[in-house]
Amino acid sequence: MKTMPSPATPTGTGRSYWRSLDELADTPEFRQWAEREFPSGATELADPVSRRHFVKIMSASFALAGFGLTGCRRPVSNILPFAKAPEDYIHGVPKYYATAMPTRGGAVPLVVKSSDGRPTKVEGNALHPDSNGATDRLAQASVLDLYDPDRAMRFKKNGEVVQRPAALDFLSGLSRQAQANGGQGLCFLLERNTSPSRARLQKLISDRFPKARWFLHEPVDFDIHREAATLAFGKPVRPYHRLDQAKRIVALDCDFLGAEDDLLRFIRDYARGRKIAAPDKAQSEDLINRLYVVESLMTLTGANADHRLRVAPSVVLSVAAALAAEIVKEGGGEFRAALARFGQPAGVDPKWISECAQDLRAHAGNCVVLAGQRQPLAVHLLAHAMNVALGNVGKTVVFHDAPAPEEGSVADLAAVLNAGEVATLVILGGNPVYTAPVELDWAATQRKAKQVVRLGAYEDETFPGSDWHLPRLHYLESWGDARTSDGSLVAIQPLVEPLFDGLTELEVLARLAGFEQSGAYEIVRETFRGLAGGGEDNWKRFLFNGFQEGSAAAAVEVAFSWTAANRALQSAKPPPPAADKLEVVFHRDYKVDDGRFNNNGWLQELPDPITKIAWENVVLLSPATFQKFGLVSQTRGGGATETPLVKLALAGREIIGPAWPQPGLADNTIGLALGYGRTRSGRVGSGAGYDAYRLRTREAAHFASGATLTPTGAVHPVVTTQHHWVMEGRPEVREANLAQYFEHPNFALGMREEPPPITQPLYPNPFDKAKAKGVHQWGMAIDLNSCVGCETCVVACQSENNIPIVGKDQVGRGREMHWLRIERFYTGGPTDPQVALQPLPCQHCEAAPCENVCPVMATSHDDEGLNLMVYNRCVGTRYCSNNCPYKVRRFNFLDYNKRPLDQLKGPFYSSPLVHSTDGEWDLARWWRDFNGSNRPAEEWELLKLVKNPDVTVRMRGVMEKCTYCVQRIQQAEIAQKVKARDSGNIEVPDGTFKTACQQACPAEAIVFGNVQDPQSRVSQLKAQQRNYQLLDFLGTKPRTTYLARVRNPNPRMPDYQPAPNSWREYVDKHGDPTAHLSEIEESAAGAPASAEGKEGRP
Amino acid sequence: MSAIFPKWTNRLPAWICAGGLLASAGVTAGVWYYFTPKYTRVGYQPIQPVAFSHAVHVDQVGLDCRYCHNAVEKSWYSNIPSSSTCMNCHSQVLKDDPRLALVRESAQTGRPIPWVQIHRLPDFVYFNHSVHVNRGVSCVECHGQINQMDEVSEVQPLSMYFCLNCHRHPAGFVRPLDKITDLNWKWSDNPATAAELQRLNGEKIVRDWKIQSLQTCSACHR
Repeated sequence: MKTMPSPATPTGTGRSYWRSLDELADTPEFRQWAEREFPSGATELADPVSRRHFVKIMSASFALAGFGLTGCRRPVSNILPFAKAPEDYIHGVPKYYATAMPTRGGAVPLVVKSSDGRPTKVEGNALHPDSNGATDRLAQASVLDLYDPDRAMRFKKNGEVVQRPAALDFLSGLSRQAQANGGQGLCFLLERNTSPSRARLQKLISDRFPKARWFLHEPVDFDIHREAATLAFGKPVRPYHRLDQAKRIVALDCDFLGAEDDLLRFIRDYARGRKIAAPDKAQSEDLINRLYVVESLMTLTGANADHRLRVAPSVVLSVAAALAAEIVKEGGGEFRAALARFGQPAGVDPKWISECAQDLRAHAGNCVVLAGQRQPLAVHLLAHAMNVALGNVGKTVVFHDAPAPEEGSVADLAAVLNAGEVATLVILGGNPVYTAPVELDWAATQRKAKQVVRLGAYEDETFPGSDWHLPRLHYLESWGDARTSDGSLVAIQPLVEPLFDGLTELEVLARLAGFEQSGAYEIVRETFRGLAGGGEDNWKRFLFNGFQEGSAAAAVEVAFSWTAANRALQSAKPPPPAADKLEVVFHRDYKVDDGRFNNNGWLQELPDPITKIAWENVVLLSPATFQKFGLVSQTRGGGATETPLVKLALAGREIIGPAWPQPGLADNTIGLALGYGRTRSGRVGSGAGYDAYRLRTREAAHFASGATLTPTGAVHPVVTTQHHWVMEGRPEVREANLAQYFEHPNFALGMREEPPPITQPLYPNPFDKAKAKGVHQWGMAIDLNSCVGCETCVVACQSENNIPIVGKDQVGRGREMHWLRIERFYTGGPTDPQVALQPLPCQHCEAAPCENVCPVMATSHDDEGLNLMVYNRCVGTRYCSNNCPYKVRRFNFLDYNKRPLDQLKGPFYSSPLVHSTDGEWDLARWWRDFNGSNRPAEEWELLKLVKNPDVTVRMRGVMEKCTYCVQRIQQAEIAQKVKARDSGNIEVPDGTFKTACQQACPAEAIVFGNVQDPQSRVSQLKAQQRNYQLLDFLGTKPRTTYLARVRNPNPRMPDYQPAPNSWREYVDKHGDPTAHLSEIEESAAGAPASAEGKEGRP
Repeated sequence: MSAIFPKWTNRLPAWICAGGLLASAGVTAGVWYYFTPKYTRVGYQPIQPVAFSHAVHVDQVGLDCRYCHNAVEKSWYSNIPSSSTCMNCHSQVLKDDPRLALVRESAQTGRPIPWVQIHRLPDFVYFNHSVHVNRGVSCVECHGQINQMDEVSEVQPLSMYFCLNCHRHPAGFVRPLDKITDLNWKWSDNPATAAELQRLNGEKIVRDWKIQSLQTCSACHR
């Protein structure tokens, strides 16, 4: 099914707008991704079973069917009502409870949907003063972990199942023992969190057992922000940034849009600073914020930068010092002198730094400098010094009280263990055997304790070395509390009774403290009484709202201590001079975090926001470094990319992983994502990727110099979606610089494709008549200026719409099912490209090409403008997907919902025709029960629970795509009609409901609503001059439109370009986009589409 | 030798073919017509575990539908009452009747009564009770005169044709909101007058309440 070459596709060289290095080189492999509807192999039955074999088996089955006629009897089904109905329960009406997902340094305030008693969807808590009702991608995906069939479900002693009472008795015994000896030899290893209840219990235990010792291990820790602020200001404080107040942002290796803690708030505030209402020339360059990024990896923050400086990780310190030398002009004394030690950073244009500093000084008081979690203390202190010198303190960055934690580090614990002083080690959460610094040899060190008690959510790497294993409850089934980053107290309340046996961290601590009767509820209640006073009403309001009003922390006055900063600077080492030494960077993975979400199928299948790789991690190299080592990667026809395996050695330790050229990465830098290569994770995660922790020491936890890389000669298949669903390089993302935007606010209209658009279709569109009947006309606007590409919407869509995961092999074949993808384009050369990001769901064309070609009318329009997909009509011809110019249709090539989880990683999905499960041929199982599954029973039963009951679960052989969340639209319309009764007021007010992607979006980039109502938010956005339709020359009249992106580069910077790279590519191919703007405006005004009044807008 | 097969057997293959064709056409037509919900579903009347009579409770006692099916105005699903709802009255009335033994047992033990489902829509149909009963469609339109049934049976086919019939002509079926659960109510006792009144009032109701004649797929399928 090769598509006709488009007349509009300019071929030729000089491409500067590309998704991958293959596309840049325009290799034949790339061409086939672009030209075919599905890649070669995606549409063929490539199983080891031939069609002939299939027909043979099926005819035997049909012959058997003739004898039984088993299907002819009406099946009797029963309705089992409650014997005693629970109060306030209405079957079919979901309930929502406020809770929160704890993170390391805060919590994500949530409202969780409970469908008939099972949590199915996570949403943000818009009531919370520091939330906009959105979430981050990890919170969206966390609900799947609740139903993970690989969770720890039983109490175990030495690997044998024991009953809960036995485990509880054991804990009580420990408590009595500690009572007797004052806690001698009792050590705790904790994870970082913000629970006031845990802090209270810790204190109680310390009071009772003064000899008990506390340690804390967090493989990816954000505590350095607190540590640095405390040092810099001489009192225990932590920073709280307000990016929405900042017009200029400098990120020193700080991936605040992707990998820092508290992403939700960072993305929201950053995106608010990028919103444009009108081309207000009076504000000139301050209309939106400007982002400078100094980094070594290609991160999401770097992808959004207006100016990006790529340097080796160790050079960031000298860049920061040079920047500080330009900014800190007064005061500081010795501090300023100390800065000189670092010299000019190698390979960096001094003008870059001086102009950046100049820009910051011009915005003193409304700019901010951020230092990243990976960078050493000195960089953080320099950032604080700059913020102080610029007068940002109290404006764009405020400080909250943060008492210093008293726990020791994991290395301290190792020392104590090696000294043989530990009788009982209690590990609460975490997975130290996998994550602890490698030189500690934790698996062996841990065994030096006389007994190890471990509370863990999985029977993972730490499990074999634990004497007692207590299953840990998921946050959706436990009581708890936390503080969000602004200091507000939030409630964690259970949505469901524990699915399996288990305990929370609080319950274990309470038992050890000697409170035998205290459940987690009583503990949290008691803490709340202490913090916010008693009173039943007070408590109920706390649970209802999910937070305690007025509990946010107050900003404290701080004074910068130059001497402390000076001391830290003096002890900091300037970077090694050698430029070609390989530097390794360990980074938090965008999907599996430090490994804690490793067994989450939604996150594993989510393409990485930058590399677009799913199901594993790779060794990231810059394209130049990749070539330097003579590495070559090859895209297999329609499959995975054959990637060269390399051996990476650092300080005598080695790992092997697939090397991947990452445009924009600093040369001689190697990016290693943590969290993969697990040996004991679960059916989904075990064995995916390589384990970067094996190189990670305590000294060099974030980056290390002096690695050696050797190609092994072997190759490894890596799947990436960067070539999938390509639209032939047409101008999808339209962007301009701020100056260009001021000059031509409607520049996006001019960037349309040549030849000129077809304005008059041959036949009238039946929908033009039908839409007169619709009460609403739904449409969507996506603001590319706000979108940061974090992919929260993709996971939200997957969760809301029951989208299956398909597995690595299937992703490689281009069969991933995500209804919404984030396009990531590079523009410019591979060394230092610009990046453009664009969410792409179904465009809901008014004149939809897919509808014309469906032979069974399975896809058709409703009168409110939705392009519908009727699953029970679809026969799977896939003509629609062949005819879709946006490539947004997804086909169920296999019965993905019934596929066992452990087959997802491949290597090859075996067909049910040849595969047997539990010793029985799959086809025979299917014959016995065709509604059953090849999944083992416990997997099947558990994973059913996460499904949204309002959305059909699709089977093999049907097409699907974004529905604009038709279930939410229908529910809103029905609710409005029920409310209206006989009044006739059936129009749903604007803002009553949101689509799943819109609701989850922390950047507020997606707006959905009634485009017929000129007052609705979506209409107002569409009325902006930046509004454009994707592939508008086709005349499909999409209901989803985009607001063009505006970059805000600094004209005085050395790397300034008067136009974005994509603009320049457009000019090369099609000429000046602004040349015909007035003609286009005129023809749009006179076009028949807009003669229908307000309908013309979408 | 030639006498074994008489001459008429020469035509036998043709007759067999023609007969076979006719028979299979007949079978196809028969299945097409009769294997539809109109014939396979209407009249389905399974024996329920408890001999509950709607006729006694509604027509004789005068209970409103919504006393037991209390979620019908709020949810897509019209609930079957819990056993405790039955016991609200039957702890006083007929408290030792053997016919109610299962209800008492259920209320005591908490084990649900296994009622047999009669009205059943396919899983890909998202029918919503609340929007119908709040907008002028009476229970009787789909469930028939359930208030007169001792043992409930299915009256309407509940096929897509049946749904669309009403969705195409809502004016022929809507009624005032206070008459929704009054299953005996008619515009008039005279059928001709009733039909005329339905037409006139129905059109007015559809106009005033802005009742949509939803025929797009998304109305029921998601």
